[in-house]
Amino acid sequence: MFEIEVLTKKDFKNPQNEHILSDIASMGIASIAKVRYSPLYFICGKIRFSDVKIIASELLIDKITESYVIRRCSDLDVKDVNLKMNSSASIIEVWYKKGITDTVAESVVKAVKDLNINVEVKIKVGHKYYLYSKESQTTLNNNPIKSVIELIATKLLANTLVQDCKIR
Amino acid sequence: MKKVKVLILRTAGTNCDYETQFAFELCKAVVERVHISSLVERKDRISKYDILVFPGGFSYGDDIASGKILANEIKNKLGDEIKKFALDNKPIIGICNGFQVLVKMGLLPEPDVFRQSSTLSYNDSGKFECRWVYLKTCKKNDSESNCIWTKNLPDIISLPIAHGEGKFIPSNKKLLSTLNKNEQVVFKYSTKNGDIPQYPLIPNGSIEQIAGMCNAKGNVFGLMPHPERYIFSLQHPAKKGFNKKYGWGKVIFQNAVDFVK
Repeated sequence: MFEIEVLTKKDFKNPQNEHILSDIASMGIASIAKVRYSPLYFICGKIRFSDVKIIASELLIDKITESYVIRRCSDLDVKDVNLKMNSSASIIEVWYKKGITDTVAESVVKAVKDLNINVEVKIKVGHKYYLYSKESQTTLNNNPIKSVIELIATKLLANTLVQDCKIR
Repeated sequence: MKKVKVLILRTAGTNCDYETQFAFELCKAVVERVHISSLVERKDRISKYDILVFPGGFSYGDDIASGKILANEIKNKLGDEIKKFALDNKPIIGICNGFQVLVKMGLLPEPDVFRQSSTLSYNDSGKFECRWVYLKTCKKNDSESNCIWTKNLPDIISLPIAHGEGKFIPSNKKLLSTLNKNEQVVFKYSTKNGDIPQYPLIPNGSIEQIAGMCNAKGNVFGLMPHPERYIFSLQHPAKKGFNKKYGWGKVIFQNAVDFVK
């Protein structure tokens, strides 16, 4: 199992970041300084790492403006610890709940076959948001940071009827 | 008189194929809209046509990125045939989503290289933009366009745009200077008077206001605006056009048909 995170290259901007930041401000939360958005693709199946690299580089990223990071599933917990240690960001991941039709994932499965990778794979498509705060990491708007991030996740970034969110 | 045969390639999410067919039929061409699966089963069919069209729409729901899945599919399943079509100097046009497909599979700007070297990325506004815009027709030595599709056009025309990912970005400055040197930039967003525009007249923040481009030979052409939506002057917000009846979009299709004849 692998997770591919798509990153916008340094010299390019993803306009979605500013939109989300503006939406957060509209909620009356002024203490988030910066947002960074990354699409996530979770690939499950008996697939080789070399094929996952092809999927990432040939299909999931725009070679001009984007790069990628591949993580083996076993690395995921370690990665999260590292992110917590190295980054001042709060991280929200949004995924469809089990049983909800993920049409983008279906398109990715089709596109993987178009790449002549003939391995049965299951794909999940998610969204990752890095939220950087202006203030200390203990409070936001004088509220505990966790509750503010939870509010942003559940009221803005996820449709909780069909999506789950993980906060790290 | 030779009957000019046009192939409009469609797939799930294509939605401008009927208007494009109408535009070519108005120019007396014989048009077939063919689904990609059908074409993949009989690849040899492609060479029977004179003009190839990648129409506008939202192929595969714009999943991953606009035009990306169709670009990969075409390149992997029909790449050799499409490349040969282009190198045989036959006209190819990609409109909006079709332009995104051409750029992302690498048929533009150079079909012989056939590798992605530029992109059409998210509009600077982060929104879907839909309006009429002014376009400056770039002309060789200030007389005529290098592109076979854009002859006989005035210096400034209007066309409608409708896209969320239309910001043209070349991979590097060298490519941009090559495009300019080879006169491959065909349309630039402009003001009514041909000056450099600000948003919203430039809807996406394209580098050097590029709205349309062609290969060095001028037979492969891609553009974000929709010429098939300006066939009659009636379609223009101010009912402008030429010969009191037609819109400037028609000239683009007529040029290709005349080129083949």
